[in-house]
Amino acid sequence: MKTYTYENSTAWFKRAVKVIPCGIYGHFSPAPCVPVDAYPFFSEQARGARFWDVDGNEFIDYMCAYGPMVLGYGHPAVDEAYLKQRAESDANSIASPRMVELAEMLVDMIPTADWAFFARNGADVTNMAVMVARSATGRKKIVTVKGGYHGTAPWMQAPGHHGVMEDDHQHVIRIPWNDLKALEAVIAEHGKDIAGLIATPYHHPVFADNELPAEGYWQQVTDMLHKNGSIVIVDDVRAGFRLHLGGSCERYGFRPDLIAFSKAIANGYALSALVGVDALRVNASKVFHTGSFWFCAGSFAAAMACLKELQRLDGPNLMRELGRKLTDGIVSCAASHGYTMKVSGELSMPYLRIANDDNMMLQQAWCGECTRRGAFFTSHHNWFLSTAHTEEDINRTLDICDEAFKAMKEGLGAQ
Amino acid sequence: MIYDTLKARLNLNAVLRNLEELPDLDPETAAMIKAWDISIRFRVLRGISARLQFKDGRCTYEENAKEASDVVLFFLSHKHLNGMFDEKAPPIPLKGFKRLGFLKDEFSRVTKRLEYFLKPTPELLEEPEYVRVNTALTLSTAVHAARELVLLDPVAKQVGRQTPSGLLQIQVLPDGPNAWMQYDGKGGIVSGRGKNGTPAATLTFRDRGVACALFNGKLDDFGAVALGDVKLRGLVPIIDNTNLILDRIPAYLQ
Repeated sequence: MKTYTYENSTAWFKRAVKVIPCGIYGHFSPAPCVPVDAYPFFSEQARGARFWDVDGNEFIDYMCAYGPMVLGYGHPAVDEAYLKQRAESDANSIASPRMVELAEMLVDMIPTADWAFFARNGADVTNMAVMVARSATGRKKIVTVKGGYHGTAPWMQAPGHHGVMEDDHQHVIRIPWNDLKALEAVIAEHGKDIAGLIATPYHHPVFADNELPAEGYWQQVTDMLHKNGSIVIVDDVRAGFRLHLGGSCERYGFRPDLIAFSKAIANGYALSALVGVDALRVNASKVFHTGSFWFCAGSFAAAMACLKELQRLDGPNLMRELGRKLTDGIVSCAASHGYTMKVSGELSMPYLRIANDDNMMLQQAWCGECTRRGAFFTSHHNWFLSTAHTEEDINRTLDICDEAFKAMKEGLGAQ
Repeated sequence: MIYDTLKARLNLNAVLRNLEELPDLDPETAAMIKAWDISIRFRVLRGISARLQFKDGRCTYEENAKEASDVVLFFLSHKHLNGMFDEKAPPIPLKGFKRLGFLKDEFSRVTKRLEYFLKPTPELLEEPEYVRVNTALTLSTAVHAARELVLLDPVAKQVGRQTPSGLLQIQVLPDGPNAWMQYDGKGGIVSGRGKNGTPAATLTFRDRGVACALFNGKLDDFGAVALGDVKLRGLVPIIDNTNLILDRIPAYLQ
């Protein structure tokens, strides 16, 4: 099997680093992709579940643009809706009826939603959610989960990061995931100051196994917070529409007050949404939060087409089944080579880790070998399935996995 | 208060401590201390203390030293000790009055030599021999400073607490210098020179030039990683957090 090299990616990176801090920054930074020479940095084309890098290497993509690609790159129905709307009007001086139509659609689809508010990125709406919670309760403190991620606003960054002040964390309380006693203790100590809790529907940190909510966890969390007069915010930016089209809370059987969506909502077109219960509609209307591109109509049209297609395909179940085939295949392949592969999180966006070591080095080596052969896997972040992945893609991926295990054993010796 | 205490701990336990290593790296220093047989203790009132012992051409550094010494330099406060390092306040000699001349001349020449290697100019960083010594000393300073920072710096303390337990091995190819930091998962660090056990993460520099450029802020670290000049393996959060901790050094030492 051919292994890839990345001369053009490297050449582009050398140009990039002269004019862009880090060369490529944020979650696209090559830094956590270990070993870095196994990974491409720049892409030229993408179609369906595949992309081609600037060296012409073809990859079956299991990162899906880190979530936004859910129906496949260049999906005809979504692109057509976007292009049609763009031809009519995208940026404009007044709002588009498409915004209203999309809000109506979300209110119909999502049991928690009595209204919807739109922005461009996930952090826009997680910040909006926190402001709404503070406005509604008149309280300062926000409870969140250690290792959780809700965007890069200073209050949400881990302490110590550059540009973040100690004061930014003054009203943020972090508790462990699935720890009701910790929440109970926090409510006992800070109850009257707690505006709300923000957490992802299940715990999907980087560099660590993902964790589903324990039985009854969310129901108790919502009960405890509501009893305390606090707001429950689900950050469904990463998982939204991959687990359930009514919001991931429906999969786990609970109802929050606010849900933040982005990533998969428009199959790659920039959009985010905050939806909420009727009791918070007035409070949401009082919070001023806006952005230059938040009313561009093309993304609203793309989102409606994307969500209709996800409904038609029963997207979450399809992706779950594809994820099951992929992860079952990898677990079995790993076992045939003497490795134990641990699968965690949800099957439509699984996190996989070779459990034969505790420092991730085997995992990094194996993901690198897979990527060199055309299955784009990162070792630090959960992967994503899309409805565009096919059984043929998965079979091809499993062949690559097999080759990668062989290459790894040759390189590192059997573990 | 904490600022002065931490700065004093850094000045002694991370910077002055390099006198242990300097004679091995720099023949000029080795020649200077070759015949010395003296111990010097630095003592702060109700605060930190440390002891340097020069004997048989070697220097050893001891933290929290209480052992008798030939010379005892006393400081009324951590700020006073820092004043000595900034050449703004003299120490109070409690013992070894006859050796004051030695301190002013010979010992001062050695500390100046250390300062020379730790404060590079662009021209000096063009000299391979200087780069060799600077890289080794800067790396040692960094790993020892990290240990102090997670104890007292408010930001580093938080970062340290968030860092998983495990050994970070830092290595410069092809033949060093190397250093390690062992995180205990509760915010504490033990560190040292060389290699130590099975790492949870490794940070590998392609060569001394890359390491030196990075240590002296002349290289975009993310860019260096992407181009393979700096390689990460294992539990990358340990490396990320170490960077955040070390980024606190300039708040105390210029």
